[in-house]
Amino acid sequence: MMDREERKLRRSPFVIRDRALNDYLQGIACRLAGDHCPDVRVHVVNTPLFNASMAPNGMMQIWSGLLLRAENEAQLAAVIGHEIGHYLEKHTLERLRDVKSASAFGQFIGLFGLVGALGQLAMLAGMFSFSREQERRADVIGVSLMHRAGYDPAEAAKVWTNLLQELRARPGGDPTANSPMFATHPPAAERSETLNKLAAEFSGGETRKDAWQEKVRPFRREWLKEEIRRGQHEESIALLTRLNAADAGEPDYLHARGEVYRLRAGAGDTDLALADFQAAAALGGEPPETHRGMGIIYRARKQPDAARASFRRYLETAPSAPDQAMIKSYMEDLGI
Amino acid sequence: MKKLLLTVALLALSGCVSVAKIESGDKTVGERMSVHIDGAWNHVNAPGIGPAELWTMEGTPVDQLLIYSVLKDGQAVHAESSGSDNKNFTFRSNMQPDEIAGLFEGMLTRDGSRYRLVKLEPVDYSGLKGFRFEYSLVRKIDNVQLSGVGYGAVSRNELFAVLYMAPRLVFYPRHIARVEHIGRSMRVRP
Repeated sequence: MMDREERKLRRSPFVIRDRALNDYLQGIACRLAGDHCPDVRVHVVNTPLFNASMAPNGMMQIWSGLLLRAENEAQLAAVIGHEIGHYLEKHTLERLRDVKSASAFGQFIGLFGLVGALGQLAMLAGMFSFSREQERRADVIGVSLMHRAGYDPAEAAKVWTNLLQELRARPGGDPTANSPMFATHPPAAERSETLNKLAAEFSGGETRKDAWQEKVRPFRREWLKEEIRRGQHEESIALLTRLNAADAGEPDYLHARGEVYRLRAGAGDTDLALADFQAAAALGGEPPETHRGMGIIYRARKQPDAARASFRRYLETAPSAPDQAMIKSYMEDLGI
Repeated sequence: MKKLLLTVALLALSGCVSVAKIESGDKTVGERMSVHIDGAWNHVNAPGIGPAELWTMEGTPVDQLLIYSVLKDGQAVHAESSGSDNKNFTFRSNMQPDEIAGLFEGMLTRDGSRYRLVKLEPVDYSGLKGFRFEYSLVRKIDNVQLSGVGYGAVSRNELFAVLYMAPRLVFYPRHIARVEHIGRSMRVRP
């Protein structure tokens, strides 16, 4: 059944088939898995949430939301190492044996395929969560695999701290209900403490941030668009503020945060949006939509000269943008 | 969108869904909106399917035409859900066309479906400035590739809109001319 799910996954339009990215991520998984490398098959899935999973047949899914959130290779290695830990300890098989009814069995198998509705994922994952002892074992194995592969295990605790910080930003948000990863794992505070202790035992190693940035950069704008599209403005602002701090001088993150502020449109948000757009433009290499966002704000503020200049810049830098006609109509209203 | 389809399916099974034929000609929807229909449609009526009227040619799993006869400031474009894990996409009367198209984009991707805006352009609805957009959608639940089109205008701080989607290869080309006719015939009384 798991092989059937994997065949479906291979055909899915949601899978990212870029050879270079897949080879790179497969390489990280192999570096961690060592002799078990031939067992692990990595599939990258375009879904804007933090998640990775590994099925008992060796099918590993990594979601684009996780790739956007990892600041370096070591942080991704921490998640992959943890999932390989479950695989080596056969935790998933143990859970499978515990599943009694046929319908629950089908749901459990489905957890490792492409989950149809994201809203159901956390609920299903929670139903089939690993025990606290299994999670602790997977953490121990994950950190030791990181250490053996030359990664800095201190990055493992940061992954969970970062994710918790993001989920807590949502008004009234319950992290355990909002994220598939938290639904299947122990409380993040406990996890961070455990991982910090393990990192102290296995100190040293590298983060490989530069290699990471180079490999994911070609996909980042698309992943950022999907993050903005989620409409979870508070979570996105927390995430993008962290990424801006971790990678100062990156116009993509500044533009994305500016766009989230603009769309949230709360008190003071257009000022914050404009500041981010201007900072992105000052850095250079900003997405063309930076200028569209500035133009829309200037237009609303009745600053026609500034609006026209921004719209003109957008049309010049994005000549095939789908909203060219709409932007031109805005310019006509302003009086070209 | 998946929730809408599931709701309709469940209500149909429980006998709560009614389907009425809509004949060709002028049709008033709500208090201020009218459209002209070329060819008959099926109007699906069921409790809890959201703020729009739901019409279909082939049946709701295949194609859906959503008609928003009025959406007030602060109202969601879909049936609102409680719980923090489901984002509600809410209309604000000061929204620009790109933001309103983004609202529908948010609604259509709530289940993880993939959306791409193909075109956004201004349209005049008998003196009322509005917009029209085209999009493509890969539905998460079954990987079906859909095409869609939307029409909208804001009048007296209220949104009036028509949204259509159908599988890209057969059903969208089959019905798009009739949908264009409906969308472009949209009129809103001042």
